[in-house]
Amino acid sequence: MIDRRLIENIDWFLIGLLVLNSLLGVIIIYSASHYVPGHHHWRQLIFMGASLLALFILLLVDYQVLMSFSFYLYGAVVSVLLMMLVFGRFISKGSWIKLRYFQIQPSELAKIAIILVLARLFAEYKRNHVSVAAVATSSGLVALPFLLVALQPDLGTAVSFLPLLFGSLILAGLKRKAVIGILVLAILAGIAGWNFYLKDYQKQRLATVVFPGRDPQGAGYHILQSKIAIGSGGFLGKGFARGTQSQLKFLPARHTDFVFSVIGEEFGFLGVVGVLLLYYLFLWRLFRSAGRSRDRAGIYITFMVSLMISFQLLVNVAMVIGIFPIVGIPLPLLSYGGSSLLANFLGVGLVLNVKMRRFANI
Amino acid sequence: MPAREKNRFYEDVSLVLSRTSKASAVVGVLLLLLVFYCWKVQILDHRKYWALAEANRTRESVVPAPRGLITDRQDIILAENTASFKASIIRENCRDYDRSLAEVGGLLEIAPEDLKARIAKYESLPLFRPIVVKDNLDLKDVSRIESRRLELPELIVEADPRRYYVFSEVAAHVIGYMQELSPQELKSEDYSSRNLGDMVGRTGVESQYESTLVGVDGRRTEIVDSQGRTRGEISRSEPTPGQDIQLTLDFDLQRKATELLEGREGAIVVLDPRSGEVLALASFPTYDPNKFITRFSPQEWMELINREDHPLENRAIRGLYAPGSIFKLTMALGALDAGVITEHTSFFCAGAANFYGRPFNCWQRGGHGALSLTEAIRHSCNVYFYNVGRRMGIDRIAESAKRLGLGDKTRIDLPGEKDGLVPTPEWSRSTRKTDWYLGETISVSIGQGPLVVTPLQVAVHTAIIANRGRAVVPHLLMSSFPAQESLSGRTAGASPAEKIRPDFFETVIRGMWKSANEEGTGRGAKVDGFDVCGKTGSTQLISRERAEKLGKQIKTHSWFSGFAPRDNPEIVVTVLVEYGGMGGATAAPLAKELFSLYREKR
Repeated sequence: MIDRRLIENIDWFLIGLLVLNSLLGVIIIYSASHYVPGHHHWRQLIFMGASLLALFILLLVDYQVLMSFSFYLYGAVVSVLLMMLVFGRFISKGSWIKLRYFQIQPSELAKIAIILVLARLFAEYKRNHVSVAAVATSSGLVALPFLLVALQPDLGTAVSFLPLLFGSLILAGLKRKAVIGILVLAILAGIAGWNFYLKDYQKQRLATVVFPGRDPQGAGYHILQSKIAIGSGGFLGKGFARGTQSQLKFLPARHTDFVFSVIGEEFGFLGVVGVLLLYYLFLWRLFRSAGRSRDRAGIYITFMVSLMISFQLLVNVAMVIGIFPIVGIPLPLLSYGGSSLLANFLGVGLVLNVKMRRFANI
Repeated sequence: MPAREKNRFYEDVSLVLSRTSKASAVVGVLLLLLVFYCWKVQILDHRKYWALAEANRTRESVVPAPRGLITDRQDIILAENTASFKASIIRENCRDYDRSLAEVGGLLEIAPEDLKARIAKYESLPLFRPIVVKDNLDLKDVSRIESRRLELPELIVEADPRRYYVFSEVAAHVIGYMQELSPQELKSEDYSSRNLGDMVGRTGVESQYESTLVGVDGRRTEIVDSQGRTRGEISRSEPTPGQDIQLTLDFDLQRKATELLEGREGAIVVLDPRSGEVLALASFPTYDPNKFITRFSPQEWMELINREDHPLENRAIRGLYAPGSIFKLTMALGALDAGVITEHTSFFCAGAANFYGRPFNCWQRGGHGALSLTEAIRHSCNVYFYNVGRRMGIDRIAESAKRLGLGDKTRIDLPGEKDGLVPTPEWSRSTRKTDWYLGETISVSIGQGPLVVTPLQVAVHTAIIANRGRAVVPHLLMSSFPAQESLSGRTAGASPAEKIRPDFFETVIRGMWKSANEEGTGRGAKVDGFDVCGKTGSTQLISRERAEKLGKQIKTHSWFSGFAPRDNPEIVVTVLVEYGGMGGATAAPLAKELFSLYREKR
């Protein structure tokens, strides 16, 4: 099933960048949480090893095979999400399922199922422009888990499904009219959401992106503290594990969603540029992998994975520096959290899978 | 073959691929924009955020300096400090202002409108300065606040050493009381180093020696975490305690004097004529100065201010009374010195006499018959001194009064002392805008008319006589207090009364001795074996004729002022009781109690 030639075609450089970025995350998680109980850095390291193992296991199975099972996978994930909503009180807390030793977030793994099912859908789609039927089908496929996750309620994760849909539609060739139509729909959905779905605290968060100073102790508190952390870092930063904002706990969610603020505070502008440069190298390598796929489905998979990680990175950084509402999207690879890490590793695993099987002589 | 294979195995995906590269470029551009924004926040606005981070992590607090103690001459503590706590609001930390006020109000049991008013008072001060909203917290309050510290970061509890006046009402007027600095004072230069909510001496010794008693507060800069818990200390300056002061007061005499006045309105002054040390200075009604230490008792305060008997007034230095017959001593000394009478000059008293076409009465309706000077003092004969006054004239009377310490501030170390008034024709023209009537001279001769003095002036006046002319400046601060000697500066210059011949003093003192010891008007003050010399006074508030016409009871202020022993005097006692009736009946027995107590203690 796997031979030497396949192993030779594994993009070890991409794996190296993946591991390097994740290790950087472990170091920053240490700085941000070593003074609270929980050993988050060790746990993250274990998650990383497990995720890497999962990635290699994923490589054993041809992505074509995975795609052929994608509807079952999708169905399984949707059922789990549905069950969480229905029996939520007994097995889960919000977006988490509590297992014996750790919790798991099925919504993160749903991303992988969505990627596979969309890739399968568009695999044979060779027209230059996408049809209304294809838009409707793909939108429906994303909308179902989106709604289930948004109702958990975990708006952040739900929103990060959307770039998968848009990415595949763009590749399939969305007409300009259709793009406008989708934007109009999005705005309408936004208005409806504001009136019927968003909770007051979420509305306040949106409002405080525009006026963070208006309510420094209320909803603007997190944004302000995060900006103070980043801004006070200056050019060189305050040094490893010496950021006052993070060490004295003024910064919220230091080792999870706001890990980027810790980088800004302790390593300064230089650190921010360095980390983002390393990150972009990784993303660039991911996007470039699209050209190294055997078929259309492979391009879709690679592109969606790249877009998924890019989207989360952009939104997270924009959020912690105060130009985007706080929606609870972690910084992929760097933020603490096993489910997210596993989803991103599996995503990269899919890309590697496509890439190593680019020669169609098997 | 390869082309065919390519078509078969590798489909044409160039269009799709170009779309992926465009998307990756968009991601790159967006990332670059984020980097630019980071540059703005981290480089351009760095100073601002650095300052905010520092303000976050440090907390300045005040380590209060204990105020100096106040003791009496026997080292009995009159004013000390007790441990206490106060709660303050830091407006900067309020998340939701109104809800915060409601919660704090509920926790501390303060009505929200009171809380609002309290905070409104300090509106103009910076937001980070804590505003004291409740003080004198009990331990229950403190633990209640501490337990909710995480929810209410705007509410802090601080140690607040609190002034405590051990004997409350006793010596209240001497010690004074403390009140909170007003927002205006806080902004002034004098109090620039003081903090919001600090207390300051308002009257009495607390105010007079404020700069000595107050210490220098220490300051502490701590590192705090987001929950306000202290995590370390950056700098600390220790507080410098205020200096203790010792008063000349003798607590036993002071307490006795206060007790004697109980239920009356009046004042008692006890002096050591040799040094001017004030042994007791009481005013009644009095008040409990502990009531004002709290920052929040406007109602009690208003009640005290509005009471008709004015308990806050220190009658001993601020009460103005006609001296009545006590003034006859001034008359006698002035007349002897001016040579208008001698020791042997006698006048006939028929119970009344006419001067300038108007009848003037003696208090003894039947008259005293012919009297010499010492007898006139002993019996306090009015007619005798009407004649002396007519011979002297108002200018010489005024000069004598001034020489003997009346009508001027005594320069005691207490704030708010009053001048009194010794009338002269110039005063009448310039202030009263009328001419001086000769009949008024006759009234002034027995201490009536526009003439007013304070009880303390009378005490000093008596001390000058006891000292045979040597003047003293009364003072409350122990002069043995080395550091304070310059502060008190209580050395009197050469007294103008020293020019009066000593034998004139002896003549007057003989009259005073007789008054107390030979069935004179001052007999009520007699203490066996202590040679008390004194003079009574009864100040008519309305003339006797008018009183009889109106059928009203005669209301008179009752005076006694004297010293003992006759040779080498050690103590001067002056008693004034408002509406006390005849001086001999009311004031003299009170003075006797004090003379006796002093003698016992000696």
